[in-house]
Amino acid sequence: MSEDKDKVEGYRQQSGKLPFPRPGSGGSRGTSDLRDEEAIAGIKGLGEHKHDDLVTGSAVGKPTALVDGRWKVTGQAQYGDDVRLPGELIGRIVRSKHHYARVLSIDVSAALELPGVVAVATGRDASGSFGVLPVTKDEHAMAQEKVRHVGDPVACVAAIDESTAREAVRLIEVEYEELEALHDMRGGLEDSDEPIHDRGQYHIGSSNVQKRVFQEFGDIKGMADNAVASHSSSWKFAGANHGFTEPHAVVANWDPSGRLTLYTPQQVPHYVHRALADVLDVPMHQINVHRTFVGGGFGGKSDPFPHEMCAAILSRKTGRPVRINFDREEVFWVNRGRHPSRIDMNLHADSEGRLCGIETDALIDGGAFASFGHVTTYYNGVLHTAPYEIGAFHYTGARVWTNKPASGAMRGHGAVNSRCAFEVGMDGIAEQLRVDPITLRLANLLPPHSATITGFRVTSIGMRECLERVREASGWDEKFRKLPYGHGIGVGCGFFISGSGLPIHWEPNKFPHATVHLKVDMDGGVTVHTGAAEIGQGSDTVVAQSVAEVLGLPLDMIRIRSRETDTAPVDLGSYSSRVTFMNANAAISAAMEIRQELLDAAAEMTEAPNDRLVIGDRRIYMRDDPKIGVSYLEALHKAQEDKGALVSSGAYRTPPMGRVHKGAGAGIAPAYSFSAYVAEVKVDVETGQTKVLKVWAAHDCGKALNPLSVKGQIIGSCHMGLGQVLSEEMKYGRNGHLINPDLLDYKIPTIHEMPEVVPIIVESNDSEGPFGAKEAGEGPLLPILPAVCNAVYDAIGIRTSELPITPDRVHRMIEDRCKKEEMDPLDLDSPVLRHSELQATLEARASEHAERDFLRASDPDLPDYNNGALFGFNPEIPADEQDERWVVSVTPDSDYMESPRLAGSAWKHAERRHGGGS
Amino acid sequence: MRMPPFTLHTPGSLDEALSLAGDLQKSGQEFDWVAGGTDLLPNYKWHLNSKPHVISLAGVPELTELSEVHIGAMVRLQDLADSNVVHPLLAKASSMVASVMIRRSGTVGGNICLDTRCFWFNQSEEWRESIEWCYKCDCGTGADCRVIPNQNTQCVATYQADLAPVLMCLGATIHLAGPKGNRSMPLTEFFELDGITRNVLSAGELVTHLTLPGDISDWKGDYQKLRQRESWDFPEAGVAVLWKRGPDGSPSDLRVATTGLEAIPGFHSSEADGVLTSWSGESSIDELAEAVRKAVRPVLNTWYPPSYRRKMVKVLTKRASSGMLEV
Repeated sequence: MSEDKDKVEGYRQQSGKLPFPRPGSGGSRGTSDLRDEEAIAGIKGLGEHKHDDLVTGSAVGKPTALVDGRWKVTGQAQYGDDVRLPGELIGRIVRSKHHYARVLSIDVSAALELPGVVAVATGRDASGSFGVLPVTKDEHAMAQEKVRHVGDPVACVAAIDESTAREAVRLIEVEYEELEALHDMRGGLEDSDEPIHDRGQYHIGSSNVQKRVFQEFGDIKGMADNAVASHSSSWKFAGANHGFTEPHAVVANWDPSGRLTLYTPQQVPHYVHRALADVLDVPMHQINVHRTFVGGGFGGKSDPFPHEMCAAILSRKTGRPVRINFDREEVFWVNRGRHPSRIDMNLHADSEGRLCGIETDALIDGGAFASFGHVTTYYNGVLHTAPYEIGAFHYTGARVWTNKPASGAMRGHGAVNSRCAFEVGMDGIAEQLRVDPITLRLANLLPPHSATITGFRVTSIGMRECLERVREASGWDEKFRKLPYGHGIGVGCGFFISGSGLPIHWEPNKFPHATVHLKVDMDGGVTVHTGAAEIGQGSDTVVAQSVAEVLGLPLDMIRIRSRETDTAPVDLGSYSSRVTFMNANAAISAAMEIRQELLDAAAEMTEAPNDRLVIGDRRIYMRDDPKIGVSYLEALHKAQEDKGALVSSGAYRTPPMGRVHKGAGAGIAPAYSFSAYVAEVKVDVETGQTKVLKVWAAHDCGKALNPLSVKGQIIGSCHMGLGQVLSEEMKYGRNGHLINPDLLDYKIPTIHEMPEVVPIIVESNDSEGPFGAKEAGEGPLLPILPAVCNAVYDAIGIRTSELPITPDRVHRMIEDRCKKEEMDPLDLDSPVLRHSELQATLEARASEHAERDFLRASDPDLPDYNNGALFGFNPEIPADEQDERWVVSVTPDSDYMESPRLAGSAWKHAERRHGGGS
Repeated sequence: MRMPPFTLHTPGSLDEALSLAGDLQKSGQEFDWVAGGTDLLPNYKWHLNSKPHVISLAGVPELTELSEVHIGAMVRLQDLADSNVVHPLLAKASSMVASVMIRRSGTVGGNICLDTRCFWFNQSEEWRESIEWCYKCDCGTGADCRVIPNQNTQCVATYQADLAPVLMCLGATIHLAGPKGNRSMPLTEFFELDGITRNVLSAGELVTHLTLPGDISDWKGDYQKLRQRESWDFPEAGVAVLWKRGPDGSPSDLRVATTGLEAIPGFHSSEADGVLTSWSGESSIDELAEAVRKAVRPVLNTWYPPSYRRKMVKVLTKRASSGMLEV
């Protein structure tokens, strides 16, 4: 080291004063490590990527422990309830004990008299409404006039300790007038004397329909006529909760300078920031939202919440910090989990084994509030228009309010249930056509760089490789329809957005989705300011990796500051699987600015031409003569000469995408992820118990920036999805009470239920993704549900259409089958497959398409490919512009309304502004 | 969740514990015993029938003896599961209780005396207030049963402990001590009435230990448990079948007991005796399974619907009996 010190060159400093060139700081090494060729996308044969030139071999593509992992495992991470401020008070929320009631009066006098109670607040203290979507702000900090579900906040108290706060809650007398509660989602479609919300002129009749969607694309009239095989199913999906480890907790502090700091484990600090300003009626700059460590989110911490408002209101009243921590039961009252749903789906295939039509009708139970429901209603339809090329798509969706805890966004938002129905339908179609279900899928895939029937622009597609690899890894060809009775194997696929294309609060061309600021001072460490919310998914790590990669630095020289809205640039937060794609892209562009400054400085120092310099490990050198170069610190200090610390800002905005029909923006994303899973199960035919033995899980994430993290996401998604397929269910008993708001009776699978999962990473190198990456956080959940359902069919010949497949449900279906076939459960047979002639046709088409896809993936200058080419249309023009039978319609006509399907019947009402309701 | 305040007493001997209990009784103060606390303390957090005094048995050395024929009430479930001196089926049943962390704290006595469970009862105070309470914890309101309304004479909360059926079939005797002295009885006579009364323990009494007869090594059998997950979950149904073989290899003695189905565990002697008298192998097992299915009356207050639990009793009985056919 002392030798090194003498060699320091290139910047003017007094020797011995500031010993920057310590080991690890990249001071003055003569040569640099060569680039890690394995890590370079271009070299791996994935094709050219715009970020290939930025690859330095330092971080991207290497299995990397999360940068905040040690904080967690050493117990030093502060989650919401770990924040302790001097003088804190404990807040508790008074909750409704009725499903639906008018609040007549609230008597807080006894509570206020209790020693130790400092303040009480009710709905009168804050009347401003909020909601995660600007179009449906239907929530309040506390009840204004009505309570809408058991657990709905009515009032809140702040006291010196938890016992006093709990006692004060008991002392608050609320007088209610009970209203007739609505529990069955089907009832929400009808007119009501007392709809759960009033949306004014936009209210749909006098019903409880919160949102309805009608979409018809393609050859709707022809689909049934063209079909030689049709599969119909009528699904019921129970509601599911995220089941994250950390219950909601919040600390609000209206500090002495008159500003509010809200400490909260939030996925989307920016929306809370906005909602607080609305509800508290203070300007946003007076509020600092401090995201604490988040003990799991999965969509359940992405809405602004009433308890966050309550804590702030109580802190304002008392002038002291107020902390609210939930019991698990309260987590279930806030919920925002997967919607209980009724989905009817018909799939049609023609004589060539093409999917000539999909008809989906989805009624989803939104519970008491809108939350993300507007989007969920669309997602239940539009997110199963790919990865297959289809001849027609008919979708009717409706979301209704009921007097249950609100449903919302949960990992795989809106796509999970209908994807399950769809992929099970594919299995049914394959059965009818007597073809292998994987072959059927391979022969119907959209190619890379194509447009779906509703006009989504799809870039990279790794679907084919996903299917081929799970087929191979699972030994599919030896097992499918060949395993003994009770033992089965099944396949399912998934397709998910990699970042919602539309920012909720502004036009996509007006303001970026994500912005990242960098600051590099004399010490050489890079401080990254980002608003992306680290919720355990690894967003801090992926941003650090992206910056480290571009600047050629080790990860420990990158410091992430992502906690506070005071310092972080506005970011839309962690939902819709947008962070890696959008935030890492923003980070890369910020890092490119710094990189350019470093290259310019190095060019000046070495007199080498700028374009021949490359960045390696803490060194900038000439590509062809690595001996000529300067260390990172030398270049940095040179660059800092006139201005001090280097700062830069990078932003990400989505390109213009999609079509123009109403609702065209829902489901638009700059890229999409794809996945295919095979699950192997055993079913105990006497008890109906399903045991998942092994899962082969292939996911196309574009490029695994952190393979360790991607594998973790795949395995974690499997666990979460298995919960929904096997045992998780929010059960509502007689009287509509949620009877299992606790983790003993809300049955999350344990280690015993968890099969071995073989994660398979597929890299399709997305042209717009950061270093080619796409999402891996939500998409991997989708295929496990249908894969298990299809495996159960393979095992015992029973096609489920209700989740979860708890043993009692499977047993009932086995009994029904036994009754029909007059057999004993132990003597039933599993299904067999004798290929029809179509199998060979499909295999030939699949291999033709494989070639087509390979060419499209590697050639950037291809003609357009629109859904419909498989049906004989010119691929360069949308089929609806070539054939008048291919329709684009977003409102039902009178023919449809003569016999609408269940959710479709939501269209029988006129909006109030058009003369409906009263 | 916070427990209501209570005074914790920590006696160091059985005598001290009993005299504490006697004193509290005399002064009209209610109390609970706490052994492992894995059932009582969560119930306290939910404010379920909590008492102002709690007497801990953790420091009472007389209750921890463990041998083949003597099982102290304070023996931890995991120690029973790991033991190689006790009857293997008892170890097996113990190993199926809850999860390893709970077994390390939970005790044999606590498991025998486990409070009955019900969807309408095992809920937070706020939740129960929202259904206007229930018969088992009416908070002074005289509330009706929520499982079977319009009958508030019997509580139908379910007994969901795993050890009782095996111990009953092994012919265990349960030993009680109280301020008025000691008494013993067959375990089959310990359980009584409904989900509130549960057993014969009178105020101030506690279970000290169980003893087993000398012939238990002659008994073979199995315990089968129905649950959603292989860890943590209480039995939705549990069936123990134990038998002794006669000289010809066919069963000469047969006992069957069930748990997780009603307010107290069931000991099905007439069903067992019925098939034993006309034993004919596999068909007798079918007959037994059907008889046990008919004998139980689960209600809708646990995870699985009662019709399913009842059907599964038949499957579990058959499976627990299958060893009888092995030669």
